[in-house]
Amino acid sequence: MSAALQHLVNQPYKHGFVTNIESDVAPKGLNEDVIRLISSKKNEPEWLLAFRLEAYQRWLDMTEPTWQNVKHPKIDFQAISYYSAPKPKKKLASMDEVDPELLRTFEKLGVPMHERAALAWVAVDVIFDSVSVATTYKEKLAEVGIIFCSISEAVQHHPELVKQYLGTVVPPGDNFYAALNSAVFTDGSFCYIPKGVKCPMDLSTYFRINTQESGQFERTLIIAEEGASVSYLEGCTAPQFDTNQLHAAVVELVALDNADIKYSTVQNWYAGDENGVGGIYNFVTKRGLAKGRNSRISWTQVETGSAITWKYPSCILRGENSVGEFYSVAVTNHHQQADTGTKMIHIGRNTRSTIVSKGISAGQSNSSYRGLVRIAPTATNARNYSQCDSMLIGSQCGAHTFPYIQVQNNSAQVEHEASTSKIGEDQLFYFAQRGIDAEEAVSMIINGFCKEVFQQLPLEFAVEATKLLSFKLEGSVG
Amino acid sequence: MSSVIKDDYLTQLIASWKAEAAASAMPAMSWLDQLRTSAAGRIEALRLPTTRDEEWRFTDITPLKSALFPRASVASSLTGSDIARYTLDDVPNRVVFVDGQFSAELSSIEHDSGVIAGNLSSLAREHTATVAHHLGRLADFQDDIFVALNTAFLHDGVGIIIPADVSAAAPIHVLFITSQPEQTTYPRCLVIAEPGARATLVEEYVALRDAAYLTNSVMEMHLARSAQVQHMRVQRESQQAFHIANNTTVIAPDACYRAVSLTLGAQISRYSQNIVLAGEHAECAIDGLTLIAGKQLADTHTFIDHAKPHGRSQQLHKCIADDSARGVFSGKIMVRPHAQLTDSRQMSRNLLLSDKARVDTKPQLEIFADDVKCAHGATIGQLDKEALFYLRSRGLSDAAARNLLTYAFGGEVINRIPVASLKQQLEKLVLVSTQVN
Amino acid sequence: MIDPNSKVLLEVRDLHATVDGTEILKGVDFTVKSGEIHAIMGLNGSGKSTFAKVLAGHPAYEMTQGTVRLDGQDLSSLAPEERARAGVFLAFQYPIEIPGVANDQFLRLAYNTVQAQHGKEELDPLEFDDFVREKMKQLEMKPDFLDRSVNEGFSGGEKKRNEILQMALLEPRLAILDETDSGLDIDALKIVANGVNRLANKDNAIVLVTHYQRLLDYIVPDYVHVMEAGRIIKTSGKELALALETHGYDWLHSEAGRALGTQL
Repeated sequence: MSAALQHLVNQPYKHGFVTNIESDVAPKGLNEDVIRLISSKKNEPEWLLAFRLEAYQRWLDMTEPTWQNVKHPKIDFQAISYYSAPKPKKKLASMDEVDPELLRTFEKLGVPMHERAALAWVAVDVIFDSVSVATTYKEKLAEVGIIFCSISEAVQHHPELVKQYLGTVVPPGDNFYAALNSAVFTDGSFCYIPKGVKCPMDLSTYFRINTQESGQFERTLIIAEEGASVSYLEGCTAPQFDTNQLHAAVVELVALDNADIKYSTVQNWYAGDENGVGGIYNFVTKRGLAKGRNSRISWTQVETGSAITWKYPSCILRGENSVGEFYSVAVTNHHQQADTGTKMIHIGRNTRSTIVSKGISAGQSNSSYRGLVRIAPTATNARNYSQCDSMLIGSQCGAHTFPYIQVQNNSAQVEHEASTSKIGEDQLFYFAQRGIDAEEAVSMIINGFCKEVFQQLPLEFAVEATKLLSFKLEGSVG
Repeated sequence: MSSVIKDDYLTQLIASWKAEAAASAMPAMSWLDQLRTSAAGRIEALRLPTTRDEEWRFTDITPLKSALFPRASVASSLTGSDIARYTLDDVPNRVVFVDGQFSAELSSIEHDSGVIAGNLSSLAREHTATVAHHLGRLADFQDDIFVALNTAFLHDGVGIIIPADVSAAAPIHVLFITSQPEQTTYPRCLVIAEPGARATLVEEYVALRDAAYLTNSVMEMHLARSAQVQHMRVQRESQQAFHIANNTTVIAPDACYRAVSLTLGAQISRYSQNIVLAGEHAECAIDGLTLIAGKQLADTHTFIDHAKPHGRSQQLHKCIADDSARGVFSGKIMVRPHAQLTDSRQMSRNLLLSDKARVDTKPQLEIFADDVKCAHGATIGQLDKEALFYLRSRGLSDAAARNLLTYAFGGEVINRIPVASLKQQLEKLVLVSTQVN
Repeated sequence: MIDPNSKVLLEVRDLHATVDGTEILKGVDFTVKSGEIHAIMGLNGSGKSTFAKVLAGHPAYEMTQGTVRLDGQDLSSLAPEERARAGVFLAFQYPIEIPGVANDQFLRLAYNTVQAQHGKEELDPLEFDDFVREKMKQLEMKPDFLDRSVNEGFSGGEKKRNEILQMALLEPRLAILDETDSGLDIDALKIVANGVNRLANKDNAIVLVTHYQRLLDYIVPDYVHVMEAGRIIKTSGKELALALETHGYDWLHSEAGRALGTQL
């Protein structure tokens, strides 16, 4: 590997600063009292406390999953603080009342919190550590009947909707981290698109972990009623600490007849330093239920951050003719580990799914694609096409592909393809000969490699993702 | 697992092992005793896999536990005419085992071929150093309960040495026959191809009657530098049988291994094939065809380990499942660090002929080197509609077109068999089982 | 060759057809008499390839209206193989690869099926081998081609020759050649064209579906039709192909075009 390529990767993490703000932090450790504390701080109804306590009981009986292709020291769940909120937390009448320190933080991160300063027609819900601090364009959205707010607010103002859907796609006992989240989730975004409404703007949540010893456990719930559609974006960053923080989120999507949910993520949590010290453990359960006929759920993710990523945004295709999509770019460098992919569970007739996964590994990192395509006996005429490509940069990294394909209906057509490639010296020479330097060449090759995924992102996100990638891999080829 | 819950099945096997340890046909040599004893020790430490084990997730062997068949001890006396339909005209070299016992009468080896072939117990006496160097050293019994059982119960087996630079023109047919119900056999096979040796091997499992029994077989194969071995494997056990088999093949630099494996019989079968490309420029091509119906379950697990640079591997695995049959394929390709310039292709293709048939396939790549070419793919589905139309537009009836395409689906693998008589036999067999009216 | 006394072989009236619910053919009228060679030209998406596939009975297309008769027999309810046996032959634009099916096996099966249909003698493998090798020579095909799988790994030219070889074996009443010239270099084109010309006689008919006039230099049509938006919008003699080559398709819609068209 040439020196130029090596040099290309190793730029410092630019979101690694800490905001100096006073926080209300719960004592470390997890027990029923902590859960009651969280629930009472948030003034929750009894049923939600019961939901949390049941999840906690389930969690106590569960063990951490070990099948994934990642290594980390055992997590001490009693050393984590399960609640951290910027202080003081009082009702904000307008965006102008947000702590100026917070506003500065998000400005620095490039997240527009002032509606007037917004560069795009995007409504933003901002989550700082465990708590939603601001939501923009709320009133505008309310005019067409869309509810977009933090999930704590939704619990207060729309309890019937939350109660009806919470935990229906990812049940509290689904897996170890989902159970933990169900017990202790602190905030997250809630979004409800009523019947027939096409959401007029992209909705977005920006997650920020700030406190060193807190975990982040947010919960997102999106419901698209019959004929509704929404495009939802999610971005994440965290400051640089030399300890690991746990991020165990749950996202649930429900799409009814003819509804369409597009969920895009650019994940850039702090990944640890070049020696693998610090960084976020990103253990996330994301699942969408395509419940109605002709409904569609589409996941697009660009995963560049976190020390460890463990997530499998999935689609349960229950409705006839429903469609599931998963487009993913996962980039790992230094000592990062990513085990990510999707599950496409075909239940309804004529259901279709597409999986496009691109893994790029550099440094000493490991990137795994793990996916499941299951065609149930009821899923007549189901179709799946999967493509998983890996690219390795350097000789100390690893790329892995673990697709599981289970077919129980003979009218199904399932196709899976995977390949591995590298950025070859001959390719770089070809570019050089045409006057293009290695950095530029690598960037072009990688962007070409990821094109099918980037095309799925909303424009501003695509630009951001492209930049992030070149930035991420700077110095890795040489 | 920290504590092992012993099931009755293994407890009884260990007891019977202790009782019959002295009865082995193998010569009394301390290294052999040690091997068998240490394998028996592993049985005590291991347990039978369940569907909770990742490697056995799709293959439930519970029915096996309720059928604890004793080891076959007395072989039926068979004559040449009893096995005539299994012999191959163009294959004069034959090593035959009946119910786990070597049959000298039914076996025949042309001595001028230069190949040393016969029963393992004789080979261990005459070529002790070579046998001791490889036997039990290739197939891992530390973590595999079935290999441990086979090794502990090592009684006799097939031994084949192809000396350096010997090119065996005629294939060698290794035939394991089961003639009695409700017994267990532990076929064992050791194949050593010395530097530059060339040979073609047919390994076959057949049953003389439709009965339930267990075959637990292990084949170890070592290809030294520049050796070339072609290995045909035909599993046509009875439809009620259990067949659990392991093949471990280690390939030295510049050596080349080609295998075609057919799975046709058994109620529940599992074939684990582990191939280590242990030298630079080592090469393998392993193809498989599983053709199952009724309630058969056939599981093929392959692991191709690219341990050194410049290795090449190719794999085509096909499965045709009819009725309520279930096909399982798990194929892992590992490219170790520094195994640069590896070139590996794998394809799993599956055809479901009925709405109750089921296939689980899991092709996997694990890659730790950057300058490699690796690709895998999998398809599951019905016959290609465009191909059907093409044939029908040339006048073939729908049924004829389907039959032809189904046959062709399997034929692609059969066509790779280099032994003419075997190929013809199997063509007929596949033709019969792929035709519907 | 045009002979006023020859009888109608193919008669298509007001043919409508859809694929996945979208109407592609919107009322095609088309008549072919024995001994004639017709060319159907048109831009991509005009429906000409669909027309070819509908005639052969491709299951993805649904005939929603109209009639198609071959020798007076209604084809619409016939399965693809029944049409083939009745004498309809489609040379595919993209012949599909069928791994595992040996070409000789496939050719013999197809040949014997059609022979049996006509009450003629079927050939055993040896007889067939002699028979097919003779035909292959005419198309300058390599002998090893018989051992290979149907179309698998064939070059574009080999695939097209294989189609014409099948046509020679099956001796259809009506041969429809869908873009047979595409992907052929000039030498291969001549070989294929000679093969087709040799097969043309007073009892059969040939329909060439093509984009370019090039093929028509070698297989001279009696009639040229222009297809657009699922209909045949113009029919004329072979000069029409040359006019299309020179002026493109747009002139058909212009005043000048119409004037020029009347002259043709």
